[in-house]
Amino acid sequence: MRRVYLDHNASTPVHPEVVQSMLPYFGERFGNPSSIHGFGREAREGMEMARETIAAFLSVAKEEVAFTSGGTESDNLAVKGVAGARGSGHIITSRIEHDAVLRTCQALELQGFAATYLPVDQYGLVDPEEVRRALRPDTILITIMHANSEVGTIEPAEAIGRIAKEHGIPFHTDAVQTFGKIPIDVHACGIDLMSFSSHKIYGPKGVAGLYIRRGTKMVSVQHGGEHERRRRAGTENVPGIVGFGKAVEVRARDMESEAERVTQLRNRLWEGIQARVPEVRLNGHPVRRLPGTLNMCFRHVESESIVLGLDLKGVGVSAGSACTSGNVEPSHVLVAMGVPLDWAMGAVRATLGRSNSAEDIEYVLEVLPAVVERLRSLSPVSVA
Amino acid sequence: MNYSATLINHFRNPRNVGMMRNPDGVGEGEFEGCGDVVRFYLRVQAGRATEVRFQTYGCGPTIAAASAGSELATGLEVEQLLGLSADSVEAAVDGLPEERRHAAEVVVRALNAAARDYLRRQEGWVSPRGGIQHV
Repeated sequence: MRRVYLDHNASTPVHPEVVQSMLPYFGERFGNPSSIHGFGREAREGMEMARETIAAFLSVAKEEVAFTSGGTESDNLAVKGVAGARGSGHIITSRIEHDAVLRTCQALELQGFAATYLPVDQYGLVDPEEVRRALRPDTILITIMHANSEVGTIEPAEAIGRIAKEHGIPFHTDAVQTFGKIPIDVHACGIDLMSFSSHKIYGPKGVAGLYIRRGTKMVSVQHGGEHERRRRAGTENVPGIVGFGKAVEVRARDMESEAERVTQLRNRLWEGIQARVPEVRLNGHPVRRLPGTLNMCFRHVESESIVLGLDLKGVGVSAGSACTSGNVEPSHVLVAMGVPLDWAMGAVRATLGRSNSAEDIEYVLEVLPAVVERLRSLSPVSVA
Repeated sequence: MNYSATLINHFRNPRNVGMMRNPDGVGEGEFEGCGDVVRFYLRVQAGRATEVRFQTYGCGPTIAAASAGSELATGLEVEQLLGLSADSVEAAVDGLPEERRHAAEVVVRALNAAARDYLRRQEGWVSPRGGIQHV
């Protein structure tokens, strides 16, 4: 059976060049980068080369890049780090953030901070003017994601960053889904802190980064040694960081051409589905959207049964609503976008990447209509 | 999510799917937590369910549990349907992950509702859509 992976926003296969780059750091270059002897220096050299590669890719200074264990840690460090430096105050975020930001803000509320969760429009876009209106004299941070992981909508970071600058408020953006997929100009966007991750761009899991603009006032969240310029204690994941650096080097080379190719495949998939399956709608912005992201709702079918049905055909997609412990959790993103519940329950996300071919898309178009049609035929809802 | 081979088999090839003309009993179970709906139709002869059919809107485990439940219910006395447990439906799909146990519960509620609808009809009162039991 053909196997087609359409879940690249969840994770990506490690690029072969990345695997090769990491191997020496499991073996002869195994040292602790904090050690001053030769073994340690070799490990540090590899790690610092990766930092330089990433800094150059972002056009920032290498001292402004800190490594962490993942996007979630980067988000926690950014939001709690700024909040901790101020001690109290108000945070502006949106209702469609990743849980790593949403729940961090909620946890800070329990500690006495205030938070405003901005609404989004039908496409998942935050209105920069809403950011301006939400400002308070005690606002200490604006944290709005660069693009949404579920529907792929690219937020107006430049306009939001401008407002943040006008008022001297730090601007953090979770760019985990955009970094290495589309160009990001941290200077034009006035970004002070930016989370980005390795395993979304064909690097290894367990490593990510946080860009911290020089002069940004923050405290560390985890205490210990003086790693990462005292911003993140703990021995660095050297092989992972070296692989991350390689992954960024490959992205710098391939990003533009791949984005174009993946966008074409995604559009072909959507056009094909529209032509073959009735009662389907697109979620997310039709144009301001990540190249590989296609989120759609199939009415009168439950997300998970489509995911399972496609899985049995060798196709990996993800469900836009999750049924956990018997409680429906229609995606908070789709709810914020105002997608009606009977549609939101049938949301499916297909995210394409470098390994996908035109044949993959044709295969999905061959098997998907039958999966949906069969599930609809079982349902009392669509015939009631 | 790890599902048993039996569950996958029922999901792929659900038994007894579809509507029934002029059933002797109809019942729905609805799991309000996640919107899953299962509807069972019963054909009853001499107090036994001789034919059981279902329709469902739900996740894979709910579809599979409804299929397995229809097999379990076929041949049982109506009184036995009222006593059917979620555990027996779960066992019929070789187990459910903890967070999908509602699949067996919603199936049992729907079968119970269909059995009660049959009994009400016997008493001369017919509900247009059968019984509906929310879980």
